Amino acid sequence: MPKVVKTTINVEGRVSEQFAIVEGAELPPWGEHEELGIVGYPAPRIDGAARVSGEARYTYDVQLPGMVYGRLVRAKQASAKITRIDVRKAKAVRGVVDVMTYENVPDIEMSGRQTRLLSDDVRFAGQTIAVVVAVDPYVAADAAALIEVEYAERPLVADPEAALAADAVKVQPDKPNNLLNGKPRIKERGDVAAGFAAADEIAAVTVRTPTALHNAFETHGCVAHWEGDQLTIYESTQHTFGVREFAAKKLELPMSKVRAVSTFMGGGFGAKFPGSAYTLIAATTAKRLRRPVHLMYDREGENLETGNRGQTLQQVKIGARRDGTLTAIEYSGISEGGAAMGWLPMLEGPASMMYRCPNFRSETSGVLTNLGPMAAFRAPGFVEGMVGLEAAMDELAHKLGMDPLELRRKNIPDTDQLEEKPFSSLPLDECYTRGAAAIGWERRSQPGSQSDGRYRRGIGMASQIWWGGGGPPAYAEMLLNSDGTATVMTGTQDLGTGTRTILAQVAAEELGLPLEQVNVTVGDTLQGPFGPASGGSVTTGSMTPAVRSAANDLRNNLCDIVAQMRDIPQNEIEIRGGMIYRRDQELASVREIMRKLGDVMLQGTGSRGPNPDDVSVVTSGAQFAEVEVDTVTGLVRVLKIVAAHDSGRIMNPQTFNSQIYGGIIQGMGLALTEQRIVDTERGAVLNPNLEFYKLPTIADVPQIENILIDIPDTKANSTGAKGAGEPGIIPTAAAIANAVADALGVRVGTLPITPPRVLEALDAQ
Amino acid sequence: MIEHGPHKTAITLEVNGLPQFVDVEPRRTLLDTLRIDLGLTGAKLVCNMGNCGACTVLVDGVAVYSCLTLAVECEGKAITTIEGLAQDGVLHPLQQAFVQHDALQCGFCTPGQVLAAHALLARNPQPTEAEVVAGMAGNLCRCGAYRGIIEAVLSAAQQTGPQQ
Amino acid sequence: MQPFIHIDVANSEEVIPLLDARSRPLAGGTDMLPLMKEGIVAPERLINIKRAGDLRYIRADEDGLHIGALTTLDELDRHPDVRRDYTTLAQAAAEAASPQLRNMATLGGNLLQQARCWYYRGDFHCWLKGGELCHARDGRNEYHAIFDQSPCVAVYPSDPPAALMALEANLRIVGPQGARLVPVAEFLQPPSAERRTLHTLAPNELIVEVHVPKGPSGSVYLKAMDRATWAYALASVAVAANIRDGRAHNVRIVLGAVSNRPIRALAAEELVEGQLITPELARRAGETALAAARALEHNHYKLPLTRNLVAQALRDIMAG
Repeated sequence: MPKVVKTTINVEGRVSEQFAIVEGAELPPWGEHEELGIVGYPAPRIDGAARVSGEARYTYDVQLPGMVYGRLVRAKQASAKITRIDVRKAKAVRGVVDVMTYENVPDIEMSGRQTRLLSDDVRFAGQTIAVVVAVDPYVAADAAALIEVEYAERPLVADPEAALAADAVKVQPDKPNNLLNGKPRIKERGDVAAGFAAADEIAAVTVRTPTALHNAFETHGCVAHWEGDQLTIYESTQHTFGVREFAAKKLELPMSKVRAVSTFMGGGFGAKFPGSAYTLIAATTAKRLRRPVHLMYDREGENLETGNRGQTLQQVKIGARRDGTLTAIEYSGISEGGAAMGWLPMLEGPASMMYRCPNFRSETSGVLTNLGPMAAFRAPGFVEGMVGLEAAMDELAHKLGMDPLELRRKNIPDTDQLEEKPFSSLPLDECYTRGAAAIGWERRSQPGSQSDGRYRRGIGMASQIWWGGGGPPAYAEMLLNSDGTATVMTGTQDLGTGTRTILAQVAAEELGLPLEQVNVTVGDTLQGPFGPASGGSVTTGSMTPAVRSAANDLRNNLCDIVAQMRDIPQNEIEIRGGMIYRRDQELASVREIMRKLGDVMLQGTGSRGPNPDDVSVVTSGAQFAEVEVDTVTGLVRVLKIVAAHDSGRIMNPQTFNSQIYGGIIQGMGLALTEQRIVDTERGAVLNPNLEFYKLPTIADVPQIENILIDIPDTKANSTGAKGAGEPGIIPTAAAIANAVADALGVRVGTLPITPPRVLEALDAQ
Repeated sequence: MIEHGPHKTAITLEVNGLPQFVDVEPRRTLLDTLRIDLGLTGAKLVCNMGNCGACTVLVDGVAVYSCLTLAVECEGKAITTIEGLAQDGVLHPLQQAFVQHDALQCGFCTPGQVLAAHALLARNPQPTEAEVVAGMAGNLCRCGAYRGIIEAVLSAAQQTGPQQ
Repeated sequence: MQPFIHIDVANSEEVIPLLDARSRPLAGGTDMLPLMKEGIVAPERLINIKRAGDLRYIRADEDGLHIGALTTLDELDRHPDVRRDYTTLAQAAAEAASPQLRNMATLGGNLLQQARCWYYRGDFHCWLKGGELCHARDGRNEYHAIFDQSPCVAVYPSDPPAALMALEANLRIVGPQGARLVPVAEFLQPPSAERRTLHTLAPNELIVEVHVPKGPSGSVYLKAMDRATWAYALASVAVAANIRDGRAHNVRIVLGAVSNRPIRALAAEELVEGQLITPELARRAGETALAAARALEHNHYKLPLTRNLVAQALRDIMAG
């Protein structure tokens, strides 16, 4: 019988109490030394063949009979009121079926980034001001170019530091100081002044991190399709069920009439949560036209409007006693939010919880500008905040004459200082020890003692802490088919993380089937029950226990049936490798039993149980970077990254590695090459493309050694697994920045550490 | 001299060994023709400006960006897309290597990666790691599957063995 | 992209009568199509010369190197004679763009590549597009010129032409009046009020061949980028010289990505001419080469960078 439970959920530091419905008995967790045969072993991703053959259909690839193509038209001004918008010429183009502007778009109230679907109030260059729909994308582009727009220009501010000035232009009329919530966020524990007074050494740093653009290779967008009163939305999203809920609510449709589909997804990295205007524009237009509407962003629009990791300016001050015990941390930071900001990333997160420190104070602000709005980007706040914290820790170690790693080891927290609870697991010491051994930490020099040759090498490290335990609600269903194959059905989604594969592994493990006999459907609200948003590294921690629970239910049902068919006690039946045993005696294969039953389908349902109340579930780890700086060209080359992360039980070392590698390479981009470039006078983003927004190439990629810590977190949930999507990116930029400082003997405080910045630092030396 | 356009014009393309007849404007890129007119959506539109590699296809065996190639230019040339690599439902050894080495995450850049690797191995069947890196440098991967890609290409080269 | 008429020609002879102000030749397309997609150029007729087989060859003889204009950068990089005797050119071709772009891009088209300035390519009616103002001059200019040669501060983006200048190459250009031979160094000129391009090709002309005189004993191309590969140069240097008895003769030093055109560093050439180039002399040559350079607001780094590259290239060429 379903039970209602109350549980605490922590997603990216936002803690909430939630009711959850839990089905079936909570399974005892797989033990730390549980003998598992499928979970924990490398397995190629089960959807690999579809993805390498071109058969995987992404949202962008959806083609339906009669489908028309939408094109988003962007504002060229950064701050203006549209005084006239004339679409007559555009509409006259042969093949154009509709043009929407603020004058004729349905009046649906929005929250967050947009207040209306389309507006005459332009707050950043690149804001969508019209949508042209035509029979072909080329026709839509032709027509878009013919839309005439007149603007009443307003003053603009496109630099967050300038936006803080007393006389700065207001980005939003109701925010006089351009601050999110009108004021800084302050967090405090203990007595910082007393802490600094008790310190023997104090280090202070100022660092800047750039605005980073997600650049998921599939852009944002959707295809909307009506069949009678039934709406199907194909959307490139991190939350399929969220798309359904959003569309149903805003379009005032019953949820039962809305289907959302995201079977293959070309990357999200935090920016693809439901709630954007394009979904509703596509849905309403498709209804009016009675034709499916394909509405995807192009690369420029993607980079201008759909979100970014806002630039930061951070000041970090840390005090310690002679022996390295931290006495106080003071953190202040601003994070640029663009023209609309829903929330402030937890920049202060690392400073507040990475190391044990009784006295802490932070002041953080979200700053509005006339630039594209921010969105979550893979461990928002923590990637940036770790750069500041770990720079300060290295400077402090230098002042103390202490090994930077020892300083960190000395201050490993014994409790979660935010939740005031013990951690369920925090094997940081092991991450430090094994990581240091793998990089050869003892080779690290003292700052400033580098050779004068063309190339200078350095080693640095940084730590990681993050959540990722997941929680309810998350549900799964399983079907056992008459040929003995099983299907896992759940409405979660696989962004490319490998979710499908580990869910198949869990189901096969619990049910006792070979992996090849299990298939998984995700990304369709009509093909499985509710799955949570894939953000905050929660999917593994939320979904694997739910699937295990469903597989266990199915297994019990199968055992019941075998017990009745063979007239033996249920508790003597075991299923392993697709075979059914009574104790050690082989009875029949699952396939044979199911065949005998004929046209039957056994079912199992399962859910994610509540989180533990008495512990805080986090992921933790460390990365070590070795770099080589070319003093002729200023180019920093990362030679090697060693990563050691605790994500609880590693479900599949192969896809786990890919997650960590991916995080590292994105972190390296932030450290060395990626930055949005803005002409702040004109409010123009100059590189909303892949030509001058420089992603790392294959030639930039270092050797990577990912050490598998692999300690099941048996207190966290029934599989002992936690997320790996975000941990991998959190320490990378910080570790590289510290390694460059080690190589140069001087800190480049502004990321990315590009050749211009290196050459300027060398010139100043 | 052959003149096409500016309006739609009938052309014949040889795609994955089969003749395909399409009516296209001269301005239509090969990428859009493959994806929209022929339903071959394996080649991906990511940047549309030759800055990413996701639209890579082979034209007469040479890896090119189909977003910077016009369909009309390809009459009489053999075009290979990702859909043309598997034979009778069996993945090409390179595709198998990409799966085995987890040389992908979201997979959106993967068709382009596989075809770039195919062209690389056709020219240099036994590349060194440095040659793989140089040969694959025209295909970006936002998920960061590069290490797996290097391993996959090296392993596929080894499997096929030295060629004459 | 505006619609256009597409005309296939079979050889170079057919091309010239078709060329005028409203038509453009299409070769590799790697710059033409982006320019057309961005609406910067909108020809009524695109003359596809890629099927003109008589323009695609590399011939090495006692006269030097003859390169058909349709030769791809990839073919240039892989040609054994080019690699051995004209190293700077092979290196410049190899360092350009990406493998696919080198498969597509031709040497003729590469010479004609337009500025990659983000204002020029973006939604700005800048001076180079026929407007009044160079937005980069007072805007963001980290990738821009340190030698000011026109109202525009965009840099000439291509790699191989700097190498061609160091090798003193000439272009064979045909037009309605027949053929002319012009040194690359003269062909590439800063834009002017009347001619808003980084080259001097008339609309009715076509580059048909690049001729490189018999190479010097050594040459090198160094390119600095802000990632490991596939980026336009932050700065580059092409150096060619005859090394005899440990001394450098006929030294040619060309600086790339520092101005509207590649720049010969004549004073630096003079400084090292006939000398044994020590690391110290190489360093001084770098300083001399940059003596007249002036940084814009965001590109101060280009001064030390280009100095370093000149010195490094001279050291490399001495090391063989």
